[in-house]
Amino acid sequence: MIVCAWLRWYRNVVPLLAVALFAPTAASALAAVNLVETETLREAVAEGKLPPIGQRVPAVPLIGEYNQDIGSAGKHGGTLNMLIGKARDVRMLYVYGYARLVGYDRDLKLVPDILEGIDVEDNRVYTIRLRKGHRWSDGHPFTSEDFRYYWEDVVNNKALTPTGPPSGLLVEGEPPKFEVLDRTTVRYSWTKPHPEFVSSLAAASPLLIYRPAHYLRKFHEKYAKKVAKKSAKGRRRSWSAVHNKKDASYRFNNPDLPTLQPWMNTTHPPADRFLAVRNPYFHRIDQDGRQLPYIDQVEMVIVDFKLISFKTGAGEADLQGRGLQFGDYTFLKRNEKRNEFRTLLWYSGKGTQFGLFPNLNANDPVWRALLRDVRFRRALSLAIDRSLINQVLFFGLAIEANNTVLADSALYKPEYRSEWARYDKKAARKLLDELGLKRGLDGIRKLPDGRPLEIIVETAGESTEQTDILELIRETWREVGIKLFSKPSQRDSFRDRIFAGETLMSVWSGLENAVPSADMSPGDLAPTNQNQLQWPKFGQYYETGGRKGVLADIPEVVELSKLFATWRASSSTEERENIWHRMLKIHADQQFVIGTVCGVPQPIVARTSLMNVPERGLYNWDPGAYFGIHRMDSLWFK
Amino acid sequence: MLNYTIHRILIMIPTLLMISLVTFTVIKLPPGDFLSNQIAELQSQGDKQALEKAEFLREQYGLDKPFIEQYATWVGIWPGARGYSGLIQGDWGWSFEYDLPVKDVVGDRLMLSFILNFTTILFTWAVAFPIGVYTAVRQYSWADHSLTFLGYVGLATPNFLFALVLMYFANVQFGLSIGGIMEPQYLGQSWSWDKALSVANHLWIPVIVIGTSGTAGMIRRLRANLLDELQKQYVVTAKAKGMPPLRRLIKYPLRMSLNPFIADIGNLLPSVISGSAIVAVVLSLQTSGPMLLDALQSQDQYLAGSFLMFLSLLAAIGMFISDLLLAALDPRIRLSGGVAK
Repeated sequence: MIVCAWLRWYRNVVPLLAVALFAPTAASALAAVNLVETETLREAVAEGKLPPIGQRVPAVPLIGEYNQDIGSAGKHGGTLNMLIGKARDVRMLYVYGYARLVGYDRDLKLVPDILEGIDVEDNRVYTIRLRKGHRWSDGHPFTSEDFRYYWEDVVNNKALTPTGPPSGLLVEGEPPKFEVLDRTTVRYSWTKPHPEFVSSLAAASPLLIYRPAHYLRKFHEKYAKKVAKKSAKGRRRSWSAVHNKKDASYRFNNPDLPTLQPWMNTTHPPADRFLAVRNPYFHRIDQDGRQLPYIDQVEMVIVDFKLISFKTGAGEADLQGRGLQFGDYTFLKRNEKRNEFRTLLWYSGKGTQFGLFPNLNANDPVWRALLRDVRFRRALSLAIDRSLINQVLFFGLAIEANNTVLADSALYKPEYRSEWARYDKKAARKLLDELGLKRGLDGIRKLPDGRPLEIIVETAGESTEQTDILELIRETWREVGIKLFSKPSQRDSFRDRIFAGETLMSVWSGLENAVPSADMSPGDLAPTNQNQLQWPKFGQYYETGGRKGVLADIPEVVELSKLFATWRASSSTEERENIWHRMLKIHADQQFVIGTVCGVPQPIVARTSLMNVPERGLYNWDPGAYFGIHRMDSLWFK
Repeated sequence: MLNYTIHRILIMIPTLLMISLVTFTVIKLPPGDFLSNQIAELQSQGDKQALEKAEFLREQYGLDKPFIEQYATWVGIWPGARGYSGLIQGDWGWSFEYDLPVKDVVGDRLMLSFILNFTTILFTWAVAFPIGVYTAVRQYSWADHSLTFLGYVGLATPNFLFALVLMYFANVQFGLSIGGIMEPQYLGQSWSWDKALSVANHLWIPVIVIGTSGTAGMIRRLRANLLDELQKQYVVTAKAKGMPPLRRLIKYPLRMSLNPFIADIGNLLPSVISGSAIVAVVLSLQTSGPMLLDALQSQDQYLAGSFLMFLSLLAAIGMFISDLLLAALDPRIRLSGGVAK
């Protein structure tokens, strides 16, 4: 009981970035916890194949916090079945397992996970401290050598990585100074601030700055002389291609590669079924001293993506979120009892489920001028009946909103959500009249050059939900004099047309990360990427360093770019918070992306006997890693 | 006869060569290639150096070479990274999606495809034959109309719809696992009696679905041919002479009207293979269809191309065998032609 209370305090310690030093006080806690051997590994330990539990967990393991509101500790055993759409998705084991150097907890606070601690100085110098006695899944020690190998022999080796260190390690093109201080401590130092470093370590697809050196060394020309001659199989001759192939930490399709995740893949591709077994050297334990994960095995079966909801309804998955959408909810509920599972409703973490992206780089000059006029975009937004969309498609369970952050985020303000997002036909008509768009005899307005105001909105053709929402929008836009044609396309040509400026308006989901904190990058709010469908050419300009694309010339967009640059160079959380607010305000004001609903319910199916699955949770890629922050290692079968 | 056989075999080679050229051209027609898809995927994961990584890979995979060189390397008439190694030499190429040689990726699937298609053809015969005969003999009877109607329903209903209905029905009534050609635990395991049993359990749905669309045509053809034969003089003579009805039916008229069965193998094989692709995707069977579709969508050119070449080879051989069998069955069919009445 004392341990419980102590742990609760330990868990609520102030977020690490505000603290200079994170003291490893858990050592005293460990002394009070007796380690219990994992039942399923008892035999292997008795035969001497594995060392006993005391030598398998680090000296100071992470004491895993499972959901206090559900309560009880779990027991070891069981196989969890999940369904995936293609072989590449076996990397979901890495995502769901969510063992990161630093990770998010359920409240989206950054907490050291694999690391014992991380010291942040001025957002420029990061000192990383590993846990003593932490081992890879094959028993070899996890030390600073694994970081050094990555830095010197992987990213700074021209043959292996011709593009050099990843952009996550560069600050304005400048690489860090890397030092190994001792066996369990390394340090990265930059001359300018790099506030994104820690959050990029905690991402679902993280900045991975370490490798299992003892394994990969066998494929590196510097350490293994006969490696270069391995050209018998496949089209590969070069050792670098072989090394890159073996180095599948994220892809998770090399069973021989040691990992730090709770389960390790044991199936070689190609396969239709992947089996992952527990990692006997996992660094987390529960508060009764049992090593996590509770579940022994995870099995992932490949099925056609469209069949996932069908098969889940037939009871073939123990835990499933991928491939299920809200439209499947009634079907799943109906089959619950018969197939022994329960259907939970979590919520999506996207800025908006369905967003309209007016193309500010459209080729047609008349349309381009019109789309760039903020009054037009505001009128379009005012003419959308969001509550109708909510009722018809989501049973009223979603939230009507702009494309902005969710209420979960500390940066949320109600006006970001509601500005220009009400349903007001009169105000919309007024704005359109102000723009000089006269109505014709049939009620449809005309462009300045006489053509009728007919917008062709293109979709990627992958979701009937999008087409349905466009139908609803068409009705209300017609009442203010705008004609809408929807054109489902195919993802590649859909994207190509937008990039080329052929498309007037497109449909996609909104902000990828709608639960940010001030220290997460606001890159999505500024032109940084060609894939931002509202300003593809501005984004391309930034991405290619000015070689292609068009420099932003709209004053508000230029301001967003400036703010983003300031954020990257800023040195205090407060300053970053202010910048975020200014950027969010501009977006709400300018309606660059017209949002409709957010917080869309996401059905999650869980077996009746599977415990510790939260009733309601955030289902988001980054931050969140889908099931990651909900700690899959703490799930157990009754 | 021998000349004819040799001639047919020899002409398969230029035919297959033409097929390979057309196939490869069509696969390469859509803009971009495998890597342009990869770039988009890498970028959506937040990898900011996706463009440069892809350029590096493009050179490694040889995707920056001109079209004709890529085609020639694939077929094996031009030396590639590993010398002369292409279809002619038995090397099916490299799959970018799976990062393995095509041969390793395809594995069990071809065998299961073959089993599925073969069983479907057998089913089509087994159903069409008795129904065709019966409807010819009992023309315009109640049974004739209803059986023909059933055949037409099978033909008219889209395959995928029929497959979904049957699959749901099987799951609710019999508790059969949805989709898949066998229970998940047997995937990837070597063949055993249990595995074969599991495959048999799941096979009946796709076989019925694909088979019924083929039976309608065959029933009508057999019926028409048999009716023609039954009108002829010699049948009347046999009846007058007191031959029992069954013998009267089987000894000559039936054998004369068997032609469409054999001749249709040529047509049936390609249509069953392509029909089964759609059903396999819907039912999530581990056969060649879904893999081929995926490969085409992601422009994994060598996997798709080699697959299609294998299927074309099967079709070409099938047609050849059908022609040979037909010649063996019906002595009237000879190259010398002429009118035989």
